[in-house]
Amino acid sequence: MMEIGLNHYLVLSTILFSIGLVGVMRRKNLLMLFFATEILLNAVNIAFAAISHFYGDLTGQMFAFFVIAIAASEVAVGLGLLIVWHKRHGNIDLEHMSTMRG
Amino acid sequence: MELYLYIALFSPLVGSMFAALFAASPKTSIAGIVPSFLLFVSFVASTILLVNILSGGDVVHVEMMTWMATGNLYIPFGFVVDQVSVTMMMVVTVVSTVVHVYSIGYMDHDKSFNRFFAWLSAFVFSMLVLVMSDNFAGLFIGWEGVGLCSWGLIGFWYHKESATWAANEAFIMNRIADLGMLIGLFLVYWNTGTLQYDEAFAAMPALAPEVLTWMGIFLFIGAMGKSAQFPLHTWLADAMEGPTPVSALIHAATMVTAGVYLVVRANPLYELIPHVGLFIASLGAFVALFAASMALVNRDMKRIIAYSTLSQLGYMFVAAGLGAYWVALFHLMAHAFFKALLFLGAGNVMHAMHDELDPFKMGGLKKPLKWTFIMMTVASVALAGIYPLAGFFSKDLILEVSLIEHHYIIYSVLLFTAGLTAFYSFRLVALIFHGEERYKIFGIHPHEAYKFVLIAMSPLLLLAVIAGSFKMTYFEMVTAVLPATEYHVHSVMMYWIMTIGTQLFVLLAIAFAYKKYANNAIAIPDGSSKMENRLCYKILKNQYYIPYAYEEYFVKPYRELSDVFWKHIDMKIVDASVDGIANIFYSTGEKTRTMQSGNLSTMLKWMVAGTVALLSLAVVYGLAVRYSDEIMLILSGLGVQ
Amino acid sequence: MLDHILSILIFFPALAGIFGFVIQKDSIRAYGIAVSAIEFALALWLWFAFDSSVSGMQFMEQIALIPAFGINYILGVDGISLFIIILASFFTLIGIASLGETKDEKNMIITLLFLQMTMIGVFVALDAIVFYVFWELSLVPMLYIIGAWGGPLRVYASVKFFLYTFTGSLIMLVGMLFMAYFYYQATGTWSFAILDWYRLILPESFQLWLFVAFFFGFAIKVPMFPFHTWLPYAHGQAPTIGSVILAAILLKMGTYAFIRFSLPLFPDASVFYMFPIAVLAIIMIIYTAMVAYAQKDIKQVVAYSSVSHMGVIILGTFALNVEGISGSIFLMIGHGVVSGALFLLVGVIYDRRHTKMMSEFGGLAHVMPRYATLFGIMMMASVGMPLTINFVGEFLSLLGFYEQSHILTLLAGIAIIVGAIYMLAAYKKMFFGTVTNEANKNLPDVNKRELVALIPLVLITIWLGVYPKPLLEPINNSVEAIVQLMHDKSITEEAKSRIPNLMSDIEITRTSMQEVH
Repeated sequence: MMEIGLNHYLVLSTILFSIGLVGVMRRKNLLMLFFATEILLNAVNIAFAAISHFYGDLTGQMFAFFVIAIAASEVAVGLGLLIVWHKRHGNIDLEHMSTMRG
Repeated sequence: MELYLYIALFSPLVGSMFAALFAASPKTSIAGIVPSFLLFVSFVASTILLVNILSGGDVVHVEMMTWMATGNLYIPFGFVVDQVSVTMMMVVTVVSTVVHVYSIGYMDHDKSFNRFFAWLSAFVFSMLVLVMSDNFAGLFIGWEGVGLCSWGLIGFWYHKESATWAANEAFIMNRIADLGMLIGLFLVYWNTGTLQYDEAFAAMPALAPEVLTWMGIFLFIGAMGKSAQFPLHTWLADAMEGPTPVSALIHAATMVTAGVYLVVRANPLYELIPHVGLFIASLGAFVALFAASMALVNRDMKRIIAYSTLSQLGYMFVAAGLGAYWVALFHLMAHAFFKALLFLGAGNVMHAMHDELDPFKMGGLKKPLKWTFIMMTVASVALAGIYPLAGFFSKDLILEVSLIEHHYIIYSVLLFTAGLTAFYSFRLVALIFHGEERYKIFGIHPHEAYKFVLIAMSPLLLLAVIAGSFKMTYFEMVTAVLPATEYHVHSVMMYWIMTIGTQLFVLLAIAFAYKKYANNAIAIPDGSSKMENRLCYKILKNQYYIPYAYEEYFVKPYRELSDVFWKHIDMKIVDASVDGIANIFYSTGEKTRTMQSGNLSTMLKWMVAGTVALLSLAVVYGLAVRYSDEIMLILSGLGVQ
Repeated sequence: MLDHILSILIFFPALAGIFGFVIQKDSIRAYGIAVSAIEFALALWLWFAFDSSVSGMQFMEQIALIPAFGINYILGVDGISLFIIILASFFTLIGIASLGETKDEKNMIITLLFLQMTMIGVFVALDAIVFYVFWELSLVPMLYIIGAWGGPLRVYASVKFFLYTFTGSLIMLVGMLFMAYFYYQATGTWSFAILDWYRLILPESFQLWLFVAFFFGFAIKVPMFPFHTWLPYAHGQAPTIGSVILAAILLKMGTYAFIRFSLPLFPDASVFYMFPIAVLAIIMIIYTAMVAYAQKDIKQVVAYSSVSHMGVIILGTFALNVEGISGSIFLMIGHGVVSGALFLLVGVIYDRRHTKMMSEFGGLAHVMPRYATLFGIMMMASVGMPLTINFVGEFLSLLGFYEQSHILTLLAGIAIIVGAIYMLAAYKKMFFGTVTNEANKNLPDVNKRELVALIPLVLITIWLGVYPKPLLEPINNSVEAIVQLMHDKSITEEAKSRIPNLMSDIEITRTSMQEVH
């Protein structure tokens, strides 16, 4: 049985991050976009926790908690906005949100 | 004596300012009388200075105040009254006093009477600055000042297009020469370290000949402009658009002789460079002939006299160029008197004829204009150089000088020109005063000028007659500062042959002119006669096509080039390239703003692309730093340093 | 009070401008005149207290701003800047006094007071950063004046003016930062003080690059050919007062900065670039004079003539000897007075006819004789008639450059010909001939308010033309110090020979020169 080291965690984190990135780029549904963002954040969290463990320093893990807390509040606010948007426009399709056009 | 110097110099300025006070108000005769009186005061002061110099007094030299001082340069307002400048002062003040008084009558009906006197007195002031200054910079002040006043007076009747055109032409052409003059001043300054006459001339013998040659040439270019020498001569004939007293004062007696004065003043310089002097003399002889030839066929009374002035200036330059500076100055003086008289006479004729200038439309005026007739005849006789009038003494002397200096070509040109001079002068007299009264068909009733005008002219008449008798006194006076070369033909026999020969030749020319133009049945040129269709006549009539050529090859191209510079180069190249650069930024922004489509997923895609680009840049940089030694090795292997 | 007179001169108009917001509309004009009159009196007092025999800086003030980086508020005045300061306060005064019917008069006067602050700040600052701040700040009021009170193309003109000069200034700023960095490398301390920089001797290759960086900032401001095209637009669109201040003072910032920065900081580079710049200056003189001749709008004629005259100033500056630099500084004053007056004169006719096209006029000398006289005097001054202010400057500038190159001076001297051509042609078109246009028949002549502005300018033009000594003497002293500094600092042989050494006995060099001949 192979020892699971830092590299494995980092590879996992990178894979998750890539998945999240693709999700962010490809998904047209705003809700899906939120999921993808969560994946991105959690990929980072894994990296934080793994590196923290590797160095024996708790700062990284602490940071991961912060990220989780902030991600949760962000999702709370974001979902609220999303519901309002859905009530007003009847959909949450990204293609139709272009009021910020330059 | 200093007080007299200041009085002589500044009273015309005071007169000018006094008249200028009334410039905008309607005619007041006091605006003419006061400047005239002040000029008379200036004349008296000049006379006192002259007497002082004649009686062996010291040269009056004052330094009024500093003008410019910076670095090593020091230019004061300094004035000197020596033998040369006092001669010029006398000429200027005498002629201008006469002209001022004359103008009170001549400009009587002009609505800009007051303005006229402001300009005229300002001119006299500038001219006095020019001749009295003790340094080149002061000379230049006067030089430009007379140019300015000449501009104002030629264009005095500014409602006339031709007058303002002539004024601008005169100013610009003089400016071309002034550039030469300015460069001459710079040369003097950087080589001698000063612009004061005495110091600069004292330093000159030590300079290299080529430096002196350039100095002489550039200063003479300045003189060419003011004295209207070829090829800068066209403005003088056009300047006749100004009122006639202006022509008498500025364009005959004083301003145009400033160039001669400059050469005379700079005699220590021109003594050192006789080859430039010879060039000046040759050009002078050429201009004498050239101008006289144009006067032969002209049909404008004032232009004929203007060409004759030009021709006489040529004589003066011959004398100055050949080193006979006192002769040049003497002819300058004599010429000022009889030429001013001639012009003022022409002014009387013009008044009588309601500003008609064509002598072919006059004739037989000797009865109504008796005094004018006498004066113009005397002036013409003096101009022709008949014994014992002024012209004989001064002009024949120039002929002698050229002979004695062995410049036979110049001599023969001048001799021939003397004949031409006599011819065209008396052609004019004959056409105006003799023959049939051709003016009658125009319904004109000519009147003689006011009495005070005639009386005002009489000093000039007197001087034109007797100026020659001052010759010896004058010689003794000016040779204190000018080279005292006496010009005598060695054999008495030769002298008499020459003198009598010249006189006979001139008389013959006069007789020919009278025979041709004084009878009742002269042919008025109307383009039909055989002579008028000859090529040489046409060339002369069109002034050798020089004004035409200037217009065609300088003025027009300049105008067109200016237009091209503005519309094509400035607007289409210089400005457009600046706007082009701005437009590149603008259009880049215009294109890239489509990235901000507002579509969240496209924007996120761009964000990811940017992150990836930056990351890869960081990776590449990091690798490059890590492997820099290897990279350098590979590059040096490829021959790249 | 004298100890802080420079700060007072800078900030008094600005404070007065802020206070101006609470002044009633009716009395703002009197207020503006009063403020600028006090400012002018202060400037005159400065002149009175100024010691002409001292060549260095006087009335120095120093307050530490960011000592860690050597950025300090340092002010000082010498013979070079003194008269431009007086000119700036003078033109603000007559500009406000002669202000015609203007909409938003209050804003205009407050803007002018702020503009005055920036102008004076530029000329007294002795710290590069403070200088730069005022230099850039001066753009803002001008942008506002052109953009708010200008002609139909005002937005284009003002934006062009702003961006063009701003771009140049940024390059200059980079140069300044490098200069400070080099100073830090050489001495171990940061300093932006110009007087500290004067003591720094840079290798020639550094000088060449830094000179170019500074050159862009200054050349665009001057404006030198080929960076001049913003100027006709700015002048063409600006209101009269804007053109007057722009021509009289703002353009002088560029030439002043050349003398304050480029020459003493980079003497070798100045010698190296002397001929290219002289050639540019000559192109400027002749080319823009010809362009001026082609113009149909009288204001554009005066605008292009400004560029042409600035060429002579540049030429005098790069003569690199006392005569030339003194002449160019004097010509800055002279050109300020004369072109300012010409723009005011153009404004006079524009107020009456609301057109500047020369073809609309003709024969104005009949209807407006006093106007024609004043215009004539100023035109002759612009043409460089002796005994007017411009002649002294032009003569000295050309005289100075003659020592460096004879041929180029001959070419530059064409200025006196081409200048006469366009000016006389314009004058003829406007004033001579008969009155053909019906609208011109009953034009009123110059009124009292306009005379108040114009008569002093005419008097100055003639007074300083006849008696330039009060200005030339202090200018000369300061310039001698700068030339000596340049000579001492220069490294290359060529620079040593081109820049005269004033300490050596002048007589000896002259006689030895003659012996060489």
